Amino acid sequence: MSNLIEVSGIVKAYGGIKALAGCALEVREGEINGLIGPNGSGKTTLFNVITGYEQVQQGLVKFRGVDITNAPPDRVFGLGIGRTFQLTRMFARLTVLENVLVATQREEGWARSVTRLAGSQLERARALELLDFVGITRLANEPAGNLSYGQRKLLELASLLIADPAVLLLDEPAGGVNPTLINHLSDRIKDLNRDGKTILVVEHNMEFVMGICSRITVLSQGSTLMAGAPAEVRSSPAVLEAYLGADEEEAALDAELRRELDAAAHANATRLASVQATVVREQGPDAGSPREPEAAGPGASVRTRPNGPPPLLQLSGVCAGYGGADILKEVTLEVPEGAITCVVGPNGAGKSTVMKTVSGLLRPRAGEVSFRGERVSGMTPKQILAKGIAQIPQAHSLFPEMTVQENVEMGAFTVGDRRLVRKRLAAVQELYPVVRDRAHEKAGSLSGGQQRLVEFARCLMLDPDLIMLDEPSMGLDPRTRSMVFDMVALMNRQGKTILLVEQNARAGLKLSSHGVVLENGRVRLTGSGHEVLTHPEIGALYLGGAVTATAA
Amino acid sequence: MTLDKQTSAAGDAPASPAAAAAPGAGGDRTQAAAAGPQPALRSPLRLGARGLILLALVVFPLVITDPTTTAIAFFALVFMVAATSWNMFSGYSGYLALGHAVFFGSGGYALALLCQQLGVGGGWPSFALLPLCGIVAALIAVPVGLIALRTRRHTFVVVTIAIFFIFQLVAYNVGFTGGTSGVFLPAPPFSGASFNTPFYYVAFAILVLSVTTSWLVRRSRFGLQLLAIRDDEDRALGLGVKTRRVKLSAFILSAFFVGMIGGLYFDFIGQVFPNTAYDPLFDLAVALMAFFGGLGTLTGPLLGAAVLESLQQYLTLSFSSSALYLIAYGVLFLVVILIMPRGVVPEISDLLARRRLKAIGASRAADKQLSGVAEVLR
Repeated sequence: MSNLIEVSGIVKAYGGIKALAGCALEVREGEINGLIGPNGSGKTTLFNVITGYEQVQQGLVKFRGVDITNAPPDRVFGLGIGRTFQLTRMFARLTVLENVLVATQREEGWARSVTRLAGSQLERARALELLDFVGITRLANEPAGNLSYGQRKLLELASLLIADPAVLLLDEPAGGVNPTLINHLSDRIKDLNRDGKTILVVEHNMEFVMGICSRITVLSQGSTLMAGAPAEVRSSPAVLEAYLGADEEEAALDAELRRELDAAAHANATRLASVQATVVREQGPDAGSPREPEAAGPGASVRTRPNGPPPLLQLSGVCAGYGGADILKEVTLEVPEGAITCVVGPNGAGKSTVMKTVSGLLRPRAGEVSFRGERVSGMTPKQILAKGIAQIPQAHSLFPEMTVQENVEMGAFTVGDRRLVRKRLAAVQELYPVVRDRAHEKAGSLSGGQQRLVEFARCLMLDPDLIMLDEPSMGLDPRTRSMVFDMVALMNRQGKTILLVEQNARAGLKLSSHGVVLENGRVRLTGSGHEVLTHPEIGALYLGGAVTATAA
Repeated sequence: MTLDKQTSAAGDAPASPAAAAAPGAGGDRTQAAAAGPQPALRSPLRLGARGLILLALVVFPLVITDPTTTAIAFFALVFMVAATSWNMFSGYSGYLALGHAVFFGSGGYALALLCQQLGVGGGWPSFALLPLCGIVAALIAVPVGLIALRTRRHTFVVVTIAIFFIFQLVAYNVGFTGGTSGVFLPAPPFSGASFNTPFYYVAFAILVLSVTTSWLVRRSRFGLQLLAIRDDEDRALGLGVKTRRVKLSAFILSAFFVGMIGGLYFDFIGQVFPNTAYDPLFDLAVALMAFFGGLGTLTGPLLGAAVLESLQQYLTLSFSSSALYLIAYGVLFLVVILIMPRGVVPEISDLLARRRLKAIGASRAADKQLSGVAEVLR
């Protein structure tokens, strides 16, 4: 089989951060290739580079042996590479049928494209056929903006297919889509492949990826970690490492733990077919597990402890989502006072959604969030903030053009008492010298780690009881990351309860007294940080397999 | 909220065709077709209404001969052309251009200078030069478009305004425009009560031409590409739409008609000054008219221009001593934008579509979906 797309040595940097650091990719004719990797490993950036949405400084992209590096998107499409977007994009005010008709001709002279009708009889028939194929024909005359999230994904696929591209690049086709539709989608993708289409798919839903792909390429931190058959990838310790996050600092101390994880991963790979075990909220001794965690025995899980103090924050049966399907499906979890609780789980599991629901940015469809026994779901974000729940969001949230001090003072925007503000400012300056030392520099000029500390400082200006941290380590190098984690531990020692969402599961759980694993919007595991980290099923949760049987 | 409603329908949508491929496909097809014929059903009525309006416009200056009224009618026609042409680019592509006075004024200067240089007389001979005015405006639109269309959204708006002021400044300062003293056009050989009539008919002819073009654009592949750019330009690019060419073509087309009608307008006025040719109020007026009637629709800009321009002319004539007319004009505009934020035509056609559905006795659930049918009907 020949290579349809060949990518090599791609370097793409934003400022000082390398999103792609020399990654390589081969897509062979007729295959379904899955592109996976942890958050921020550069999958979408690679898509953007191949399809011409982003220009690269170095590297080579070849399609059928022709160099198409940095070719504009319309040319790439014209050559026969069609793509979908992670957040589906369509023409909201055009009808579904019109959406499909936009791309009827890949290469057409300008004069002809200007003068002819929007769709010939033949093209319309073909468009309807494609809508039939994806199953949304009855919506043909509906404005695309009225479609549900899943239907938009189907429409996006149909609107590509009309131009009959040779390769389809699908960016998270199953993201945020309900299970029925996922099956429907994977059937369609298989159909297309049978009809000769080559497909490259980025996806976080591992079951989906493992189910349809003949080969998988793993990206990690902007370079290609490995490429191989699904089983090979799933059993690779290096891949699991990439997902759970390596802890370079304590690599030596960690050897035992890692061996344990590797053993678990191997065990999973071999048991996949037979294991149907439900891991939900059960911590009983597992005969199959290679070693029993030594710190906490069975029954020590937070959820089963009968006489503990009442939790600071409690979510019970929370269902929430954005417009389309629910992201959170009856999430029940507790955050004990004075502790660090870490929520981990694969991408799209609903970790950030949990935080949004607690902070009031998202209203739960069902269930209840209570804080100190008082119902807070349904309150406005401002009211919830006043109760003492503060969130530090995932994206860099400082005002880059304002000075460090102004940024920190913004945190106390709602505090009227100037004296109190000054007192707290002095306190955070004591805690984080960077806030004092670089008080009058623009926040945008600080390094990533320093910006994190300023964000912490800003949050502390409100003196909240509960701090929610969304991926504090994102985009940081290991040393800075451990510094940031130290600061989190320090905040905790000073009496703040912390709810942490972390992509780097190992580092996050190690820091935390309590761990929660979310998968597909459901709580899969709870326990002490160590228990969760050493649980034999955690590998399966990240790389798909055993646990998914309970999803439907 | 609408999305929530749709989700329930969405849940079964993908599942059913997969399960029952053959029968499901056939059923879907007929359903899709059922939504189709509705426009056809109503078309005789619409056609009749349109014919009546067209007839009324044709006989108007024959029936009503009052020069004040026919002058107002002429101005209304001029702005109907301007708003329709502006909409051909800005309405369809979503790029709000606030510098179309460049083409309007350049059309005026082009006619004045051409008449001067070629020694063409006023009236019909000067009318014959109008297509040339359009071509001059279109030629000017090429570099203007190449520069302005490098930007998007707010930046584009600002760049078009800036280019507009450059033209005004140039008109004040170069020799051939006559600077502040302006250029005069040859006096037309018309007189008396029927002075306005030829101007009216020429404006009407240009209106028919521009509306037909706008309609053709809307139906063409070109128009579909423009609308795609309006909704998501990057996605359109990724689907092979040559966005730059498409945008520039629409920009030039739009400038052509505005230049042509600009020539006629200044022919009627009789003189061109930098401040009347390149008038910032023109930039705003055409945009507001299109907004008022409904951006991106065929009939919206027509309605907006007809209502707002006649009203403004009438109020100016009646209350010119006070600034009252400006207040009344502003109030009307605000009220419409508040009640019908998408413009008169889209809101009313949605309303009618919903009414009709209820009359047919359709369910409330289907009612919501009908906003889509309204879009098709338009």
